[in-house]
Amino acid sequence: MGRSIITRLFTSLFVVLGSLILVFCILYLLPSDPVLMMIDPSSATPETIANLRHQLGLDRPFYIQFASYFNNIIHGDFGNSMMNSEPVLPKILKHFPATLMLTIASSIIAVIVGVLLGVLSAIHRNRWIDIVARIVGLFGISMPTFWTGILLILLFSIQLHWLPVMGSDGFKTLVLPAITLGIVGAGFIVRMVRNSMLEVIHEQFIVTLRSKGLSERAIMYQHALRNALIPAITMMGVLIGEMLAGAVVIETVFSRQGIGRIIADAIMAKDLPVVQGVVFFSAIIYIIVNLIVDISYTYIDPRVRRAH
Amino acid sequence: MLKLQNNWLKYVAVAMVLMLVLGGCSIGTKEADGNATGTTTEGVGGKSSQGGELSYALATSPDTLDPHRSGLAVSVRVIRTLYDSLVVQLPDHTIGPWLATEWTVSPDAKSYTFKLRQDVKFQDGTPFNAEAVKYNFDRIINPETKAANAQALLHPYKSSEVIDEYTVKLNLETPSQAFLGNLTQALLGLVSPTAAKKDGEQFGKNPVGTGPFKFVKWDENAEIVVERNDDYKWAPAIVDNKGAAYLDKITFKIIPEEATRIGSVQSGQVHAAETVPPQNVASIKGDSNFQLLQVNTVGLPYTLFFNQRRAPWNDPKARQAVQLAVDVDSIVKTLYLGTYERAWSPLSPGILGYNESLENSIKPDVDKANQLLDELGWARGADGIREKDGKKLTIQYVDGSPNREKRNDIAAIVQQQLKPLGIDVKVEITKDVQTVVYINGDYDLYGNNQVNSDPNGLYWFYHTSAPNAAKLSISGSADPELDKLLEQGLVESDQGKRIAIYKTIQKNIIDKALILPIYVFPYTVAASNAVKDVKFDTLGYPLFNDVNLLK
Amino acid sequence: MKEVISSEVAWQGRRLRFPTSLFQKRLAVSELLVVVAALVVAFIILCAIVPGWIAPYLPTEMLTDQLLQAPSAAHLFGTDYFGRDIFSVVVYGSRDSLFIGFASVIIGGLVGGLIGVISGYIGGIVDTILMRLIDVLMTIPGILLALAIAASLGPSLFNIVLAVAVSAIPGYARVMRGQMISIKSRPFIMASRSIGSSNIQILWKHVLPNSVSPLLVMATLGIGSSILMGSGLSFLGLGLIKEVPDWGTLLSQGRGYLTVAWWICTFPGLAITIFVIAVNIIGDQVRDVLDPKKRTA
Repeated sequence: MGRSIITRLFTSLFVVLGSLILVFCILYLLPSDPVLMMIDPSSATPETIANLRHQLGLDRPFYIQFASYFNNIIHGDFGNSMMNSEPVLPKILKHFPATLMLTIASSIIAVIVGVLLGVLSAIHRNRWIDIVARIVGLFGISMPTFWTGILLILLFSIQLHWLPVMGSDGFKTLVLPAITLGIVGAGFIVRMVRNSMLEVIHEQFIVTLRSKGLSERAIMYQHALRNALIPAITMMGVLIGEMLAGAVVIETVFSRQGIGRIIADAIMAKDLPVVQGVVFFSAIIYIIVNLIVDISYTYIDPRVRRAH
Repeated sequence: MLKLQNNWLKYVAVAMVLMLVLGGCSIGTKEADGNATGTTTEGVGGKSSQGGELSYALATSPDTLDPHRSGLAVSVRVIRTLYDSLVVQLPDHTIGPWLATEWTVSPDAKSYTFKLRQDVKFQDGTPFNAEAVKYNFDRIINPETKAANAQALLHPYKSSEVIDEYTVKLNLETPSQAFLGNLTQALLGLVSPTAAKKDGEQFGKNPVGTGPFKFVKWDENAEIVVERNDDYKWAPAIVDNKGAAYLDKITFKIIPEEATRIGSVQSGQVHAAETVPPQNVASIKGDSNFQLLQVNTVGLPYTLFFNQRRAPWNDPKARQAVQLAVDVDSIVKTLYLGTYERAWSPLSPGILGYNESLENSIKPDVDKANQLLDELGWARGADGIREKDGKKLTIQYVDGSPNREKRNDIAAIVQQQLKPLGIDVKVEITKDVQTVVYINGDYDLYGNNQVNSDPNGLYWFYHTSAPNAAKLSISGSADPELDKLLEQGLVESDQGKRIAIYKTIQKNIIDKALILPIYVFPYTVAASNAVKDVKFDTLGYPLFNDVNLLK
Repeated sequence: MKEVISSEVAWQGRRLRFPTSLFQKRLAVSELLVVVAALVVAFIILCAIVPGWIAPYLPTEMLTDQLLQAPSAAHLFGTDYFGRDIFSVVVYGSRDSLFIGFASVIIGGLVGGLIGVISGYIGGIVDTILMRLIDVLMTIPGILLALAIAASLGPSLFNIVLAVAVSAIPGYARVMRGQMISIKSRPFIMASRSIGSSNIQILWKHVLPNSVSPLLVMATLGIGSSILMGSGLSFLGLGLIKEVPDWGTLLSQGRGYLTVAWWICTFPGLAITIFVIAVNIIGDQVRDVLDPKKRTA
C-alpha cells in the first residue's frame, strides 16, 4: 500500500511535467502575439515591441523558453504575469481559496443530492420516486450552467431578495453558485449510482446474501450501496476537475473571484506564465484528489483490497 | 418493501440533519464577515448627504490604475477619481485651469509654459511642483515605462524645463493644436513621483495621485476601493464641490456579466451599474426606484472602416454601393431600440469641428447601389452572388469577441442587408483582433471607435503614415489630399480655420465612402434614486466629487 | 457456464422482488416513454436533415418590424432582437448542435474507450503509461482544454468538435478502465480463464459486453454535455459564430434578454434539455437490451 502510493507520487511528477509541456505546446501554437495584446496598436513603436519581446524572452527558440521556464519552476519561481507583471504564485494562492470553497460546497451538494436520489431511484425503480429523481438529475445535466445561474439570480436575488446577486465575500454569496454547480454534479451522480446499484442488486453475492437471510436493509446499505459507489467515486475524480472547470463559467456569471476567471483571462490573453502556473496547480490538485479516490477504492471495494 | 422504505426515510432524515448541521456550521463561521459587509452596504447613505459609501459596478476589469500604462476606458473611470490633470476641458471645448492656473504658448507654438497651483500635494505627501510635472511627462516617453495610449496622447512632446518651483515649460517636437486638449485627458493625469519610482512596475496596483479619492485596495476581478482625500481643494470648474468629496468611499465592483450587473442594481446590492444594455434601459427608466443616467461619449463614433489596401474595396464606387445598401437606421433601431444615436460622420457630435451637415446626407438606395456594382462589371452568378473574372464579390467582415455593445450583431445584420445586393459577407469573429487586423490586415471591413478630446484623433485612423511601422492603420488610407488636411488640422492655430479644416475632412471621408459610421456610444448608468449629482466630463467619464447619497 | 447460472439466479432474484402484475404495468409505461423519446429524437433529427420542411421562415430572415415579439400563432416561439422567428432558428440550429453532440461523442468515446480497454485489460506498464498520458490530459479540466484549443485554432465547427472531443477522452478512458479492472476480478471471468479461454475471447465475449453499459450511459450523457460545452464556449466568447446559430449559441446570445424577452433563450434551452432527456431514455433502453444478464435470460 505504502509502496504503491510512493510509486504513484513518483509517476505523478511526470504527469505534472507532461501537462506543462502540453499547455506550453498548445499556447505556443496560438497565432496571437502576447506582446501585441499588451500594448496599444496606435502608439507603440517597432523598437518598443522588439524590446518588450526581448524582455519577456519571447524571441528565443521554443525549447529554450520551455527549459528556462522549467528551471525557474524547480527553483520555485513561477514567473510574472505578462499582462501586469504580477508574480504568478501569490496570484494563484490568493484566488485559489474562493474556487476551492466553491468546489467543495458544490461537491457536497452534488454528492448528497446525487447519492440520495440515485439510491432512491434504484430501489424504487420505475416508480414515481425513480421518475422524479431521474428527471431532476436530467435537468441538472442538461441545462447550461450560465442559464441556470442567471435564472437562479432572477428568482432568488432580484425577485425574492433572499441572496446576493454576486460577489465572493461570505457564505451568502456562495449559496447560488454552489447550487448552480452542484446540481450539475448531482445529475451525473444520480445516473451513475442508479445504474450501478441496479447492476449490483442482481449480482451473485447479493443474491447469496439474500438467501442467507440478511435483512434487505443490511444488503442495500452494507453491500449494494458500497459496491455501487465505486463507479460514482471514479466519477468524483472526474467531477472535481469538471467543477474546477465549471468555475470558469460560474465565477463569471456571479462575478466571483477565483482561479477559473484568472485562467480564462490568461488563456485569452495568452499570458503563458499565468496559464502554466494554474495548470501546474490544478495538476497537483488533480493528483491529490485521485490518490484519495484510489485509496478509498480499497476501503469500499473488498475485491480491489484483496488484489493489493 | 414498506419496511425498506421506512428505513430509507430514516436515512434521508439523517442525511437532511447532516446537511443542516453542515450548513449551520458554515453559516456560523461565515456569519461574521457576512455581517460586516452587510452593514457596510446597508449603512450606506446615512441621513445626511455627507459621507456614505457608493458602490458602482463596472462592466469589465481595469487593466491597470497607472494612467500612463492604461489603455481601457473602464480604467479611466477609476483613474479619474485618483488623479488630476494640468488643465480641464470645459463644455464649450475651451480649456480651463486645473492643477495649472495659467499658461502661455510660445509664438512658434512649440512650447507651453504652465504656472502651477502651489497648494497641491500628492496623497502620499509628495509636493506637487514643476519637478513632478517634468517627471510625469518624461516618464510617459521613457520606453521603460511601457506607456500605452498616454504616449500617443502626449505626442509630439519632447522635453520639460523646470523654470522655478511652480513654473514648468513643455517643449514639443512640432506644433500641435491637439496637445493642450490631450493634457485634459485622465490618461495624462499626474502620478506621485515618489510612489511611481518606488513601486515601478507595480505602481498600477498601488496608485498615488492628487485626486479627490485615495486608493485603498484592489481585489482582482472583484472590486477596487477608493476613499476620500480629505486634503482635496483643487477641483476643476466642471464640478460644483471644490473641496473634498462628500462620499467616504467608492467601491467599484467588477461585474462583467450583463444580467448580473443590472441585477445587482435591481436587487439593491450595488447603488449604480454602468453600461446598461439597450433592452434594459426602458425597464430602468420605467421603474420609479431607479434612475438612468446617460451621456454620449465624444471622439470617433463606432465606425466600420473599409480596408483600402484590398481590392475591390479600394474603389470608391464599390464602397459607395455598400454605403447605399447598408441601412444604418434600421441597424441602430433594431439593436439599440432607440437608446443609441446613429452616427453620420467620422466624428461624434460634441467634439470641436463636428460637421452637422452630414446628418441625414445618406439615404439607403439599393437600386443605385446595384447600378454602381453593375457599372463596375460585377455580374450576378447563379447563386445570386456577384462575380467578376471568376472572383466572387465578398467582404471579409472582422469583429472582436466578446460581443461588446452588440457589435457582432451589427455584422449579422450587415450580412443580411448586403445579400440582396449580391455581396457575400463573411463574418469572422475573433479573439485576436490585434493580429488579424493590425498585423495581417486580413479584413475588408472592421469596426472601431475612440474616445477623444480633439478631432486630431482622426490622424491615427486616416493618415498614410499612421500609426507606425509595426502596425497597420485601420483604414489603410493613402490619400495625399486627406494627409495634407490632417496635417493642417494638427497645427492650425486659428480655431475658426481649424474647424473648417475638420469639417472638410469629415465630408471628404464620407463622400469617398471610406467608412460607415454606425452609432454614438452613450455611457449609461443605472442607479438607485439615492445616488445624487453624478457629473460627467466632456468625454463622458463620470465624476464623483459632487456625489452624495440620500437615505 | 457459471456465468449463465449466476445470471439466472439474478434473474430469479429480480422476479422475486417485483410482483408480476406491477412488472407488466411498468413495462407498458416504460415502453411508452421509449416510444415518445424515440419520436422526439426522430423529429429533431428530421429537423436537422430537412429544416426547410418544418420551419415556417428562413432562419436568417430578419423581420425588423416584428422585434422581440412574444410567442404567438404567427411565431410559435416568438421573435428575437433581430426579428427572426425563433422556432425557425431553433429548427435550423439543430443541425450544428446535433453535429457537435454526436461527432464529439463518437470521436471522444471511441478514442477514450479504446484507451480505457487497452489500459484496463492489459494492465502493467501499458496501463501506467496510458493512464499517465490520460492524467496529463485530465489535469487540464475539460472546458479549459477546449478553451485553449478553440483559442488557438479559432472557433470553427470542426475545431469545436475537436476541442470538445479531446476534453471528453479522459472521462471515457477512466470509466472504461475502472470498469475493466472491476470486471476482470469477478468470478465468472476467472472461471472463464480457468477453462482456457484466450484473452481476446474473454475480452470480446465477456468483458466488453459487461463493461459497455457505463460507456453507453456516459455517451448518451456526453451528447448533451458536448452541446452544453459548446454553449459554454459561446458564453466565454469562443463559440461558433455562423449565420444560423446552434442552440447553445442562441441560448448564450439570448441570455441578456431574459428579463425582457424570456422566450429567446428559453426555447433553445428547452430544445437542448428535451433532446438530452430523450436521448437518455433511449440510452437506457439500449443498455437494457445490451445487458448480458437480460440477454441470457
